[in-house]
Amino acid sequence: MTVLILTNEEDVTADMVVLRLGEAGVPVVRLDPADLTTGVALSGEYVQGACSGHLSVGGRLVTMSGLRSVWVRRPGEAATRAAQPSAWLTQEASQALYGMLRITDARWMNHPDAARRARHKPWQLHLAQRSTLAVPATLITTFPQAAREFAERFPDLVVKPVSGAHPQEPPRAVPTSRVAPDTDFSAVAFGPTLLQRRIGKRADIRLTVVGDTLLAARKPADPDADPDDVDVRFAPSVSPWLAVDVPRRVADGVRRYMRGAELAYGAFDFAEDADGIWWFLECNQSGQFGFVEMDTGQPIAATIATWLAGDGDPDGRCAQGGRGAAS
Amino acid sequence: MQPFTLNYARPAVQLDVTTPYAYDSGLQLNVLPDGRIAATDHATLRALGTTTSTAGSKTHFDD
Repeated sequence: MTVLILTNEEDVTADMVVLRLGEAGVPVVRLDPADLTTGVALSGEYVQGACSGHLSVGGRLVTMSGLRSVWVRRPGEAATRAAQPSAWLTQEASQALYGMLRITDARWMNHPDAARRARHKPWQLHLAQRSTLAVPATLITTFPQAAREFAERFPDLVVKPVSGAHPQEPPRAVPTSRVAPDTDFSAVAFGPTLLQRRIGKRADIRLTVVGDTLLAARKPADPDADPDDVDVRFAPSVSPWLAVDVPRRVADGVRRYMRGAELAYGAFDFAEDADGIWWFLECNQSGQFGFVEMDTGQPIAATIATWLAGDGDPDGRCAQGGRGAAS
Repeated sequence: MQPFTLNYARPAVQLDVTTPYAYDSGLQLNVLPDGRIAATDHATLRALGTTTSTAGSKTHFDD
């Protein structure tokens, strides 16, 4: 039985898992859907009540029924490197590939439906609340007056994109940013705005969840840091990530979240405040993990490989990530 | 008419990084010029930041 990895060739983080699978003797087929019709081919037939299919890439051939698991890591858009790419061809190729994969019994990390839903930050915040995780007071609005009133109730705010995406024309980055007390909120009317109470943090937490395994890392905040440097991805790094235990209450909440989201993999970001409370910021369903593994030595790639090979999460309670056939 | 959130945007850092490794379709891994597996060379990966949560990724927002 084969592990199918959907990702781009440059994804060296996926390499860390391919290595572990190779060491375990688990067959792997890795392909980028962007290469459909050039380097990647597929076929499936539905005859006399039965269906079968196969994929091929680089001389490797795998049958759909021979798939153990599918890891949707960083795939390109289907057929975008075809000889004559088009939006129509991408839609055709995407429907063919993912439609056929959906009828296999393979389990997913993560299932496309669960992944798509899990990207919605407003949904994440609600699921985190329901999972009893601590969530900073948040407002998402296009009403300037609502923003003004929220700022009166919570004077120390940050703003961040609702989608997590960044504008590309021209390319810009929108880090989580502190909102000054005298800010004019009238431009809130021109786009949904996510305002959140700023957590005075003493550390950032990255909690990587693989099946039922929780691997947390902590990066202490620089005590001399500018309080306007809110976003750890943009702030100067003064410490490596260090492995840390997960408080029991947080672990329980995170497992509830993973079950609710039907995810097999998730990378949670928390802000730890002065009282040691972990405040949920977001959960990236395909978040990077290589940098954490390199700093902490935590076996994240090996844990993913074990899960994909079918031996992770033996009690099967949490985050199967494998919706049934024909979902 | 610019949305409020974009008041906090900054120019994206254009990383003109040339990765010193290339994909080997036989191994299904990226390989350095000297034949070593790129994923085992943590010094190179750290220098390139290719496994890091970056924010603002052009094609993915799952950092």
